[in-house]
Amino acid sequence: MFSDGGGRALTGAGAAPWPRQPGLTSRPHERRLRRMAPHDNRAWFLLVPALTLLGVVGALPLLAVFNYGFHDIFTLKDVHWVGADWFADILGSDRFVASLGRSLLFSTLALGIQVPLGIAVAMLLLGQGKGAVWGLMLVALPLVVPWNMIPMLWLGLINSDSGLLGPGLAAIGFDWKFTGWHTWALILAVDTWHWLGLVVVLAYAGLSAIPDAYRQAAAIDGASRWAVFRHIELPKIAGALAIVFLLRFVDSFMIYTEAFAINAGGPSDATRFLSLELGEEIKGFSYGQAAARATLYFLIVLAVVWAFVAATREREA
Amino acid sequence: MMRRLALLALAGFILLPLAQAVILSFTVTLPDVELAQGTVGLMNYSAVLADSALRAAMVNSGIYVVLNVVFCIALALPAAYALARFRFLGDRHFLLVILVFRVTPPVVLSLPIFILFSQFGLVNSPVGIALVHCLFNLPVAIWILESFIRAVPRELDETAFLDGHSGPSFFFYHLIPAIAPGIGVAAFFCFIFSWVEVVFARILTVTGGKPITMALQAMFGFQTDIGMVMAMTCLSLVPGVVMIWFVRNHLARGFSLRA
Repeated sequence: MFSDGGGRALTGAGAAPWPRQPGLTSRPHERRLRRMAPHDNRAWFLLVPALTLLGVVGALPLLAVFNYGFHDIFTLKDVHWVGADWFADILGSDRFVASLGRSLLFSTLALGIQVPLGIAVAMLLLGQGKGAVWGLMLVALPLVVPWNMIPMLWLGLINSDSGLLGPGLAAIGFDWKFTGWHTWALILAVDTWHWLGLVVVLAYAGLSAIPDAYRQAAAIDGASRWAVFRHIELPKIAGALAIVFLLRFVDSFMIYTEAFAINAGGPSDATRFLSLELGEEIKGFSYGQAAARATLYFLIVLAVVWAFVAATREREA
Repeated sequence: MMRRLALLALAGFILLPLAQAVILSFTVTLPDVELAQGTVGLMNYSAVLADSALRAAMVNSGIYVVLNVVFCIALALPAAYALARFRFLGDRHFLLVILVFRVTPPVVLSLPIFILFSQFGLVNSPVGIALVHCLFNLPVAIWILESFIRAVPRELDETAFLDGHSGPSFFFYHLIPAIAPGIGVAAFFCFIFSWVEVVFARILTVTGGKPITMALQAMFGFQTDIGMVMAMTCLSLVPGVVMIWFVRNHLARGFSLRA
């Protein structure tokens, strides 16, 4: 799905039918285009504007962060070289290891819930014909809610006095303020509410691009529902799922807004994720240490992306 | 039957928190001289619209989101065209680079972006926020537009050039109309990131130019009028809902990993 031998990709979403102009695109057609794509290095000129902007707002700040990480910064005019001290401090602290573990666990749970659930919802919508559009609009709604209001909506909902769910949750002993795993459950529910739409939309895009003939052929062969999913649908939505996986990984791994607003890392550090520690250092004006920490986080994310892309290319080769 | 139940459960899950917000937004939540707590009506909305800081926040958000969408589409179109139509040295590396920028945690960049932008006078300015959001939206816009351009037969380009169209006039008169839905979808994804993002919106608006997200944040205090906060939140959903409505038939094109 990611790449053919020629090094370029055919993606599930890329081959989706274009609703207004049926018949404009199909896989064989695209494949022909791909073969025809001429080799021309002048195409770089078309990338220059985008690369310039990304360089200024992306690459420069990254280099700066990397540089700050080796300094002790009191003010911007009072900067001392400290070598790799910050890195050694952070990597050697038990708190860092514990937070890293919590963040990894949170990402694992978030992906483990949201990806299968999103695929299931997309499949459910696929069977709804024209109604699917309404389903897609529904699940996309949370994506347009201001991020800092998402925890507020949920805290309102579970408020034990006035919330729609509050009295019921209080009656069954749900105590998100002081019971660690209840806070976890709440943050996971909020995160799932926020991001399920992205998984559904992208999975639906991949699934709806599969011609009916594939499923009919499988039905004639007597394939089970699982076999159809495993051998026909899953390969076709792999490209869409890959981007979902990566986007959801980084966002859940660096979750801040929801986690901080809901319980600020509590109770007793049970939801103290990596980003909350970084937030504390920035608020405490400990910029050198914050930069070193940010560099580490970036490297962790980069390593995961790298491993993921390498594994995908390997599998496709 | 099971399917219907599952769909109902999904709708309940998605709509419950929003329903809570809507209910609160129509309710008096702070004791008031004239109105008792719990009174239902439009007073929270009229209070929001009467507040000049909140009105200004809506305008600020609107300005940088529009700028961001314009920047992203303008820069992504040529890049997407190049990726869709040509092979060239380093094309896969380019895709990897934009993927890396897209997945860079915002909080990692917040400090140097602030320092860099303050040197260029881009703090408290909507242009600054619009530029920095491009880091996250430009890659997505490139992925989406590339898949739409690739679905357009190459013959379109060839006929246009045979007809004597130059590069720019081909882009405006042939390519853009042909991929209009793709531009809509790309604009939608840029919009939903830029409109609701908080990390950069916070650090780049120190004293002025506060967007909706920060204006909402500022409404929390010793005595928070949660009804008014929710009224503001509900109003902030309107542009997003309108965007969803416009792209509803094309949303399912999505985007996928290109690496």
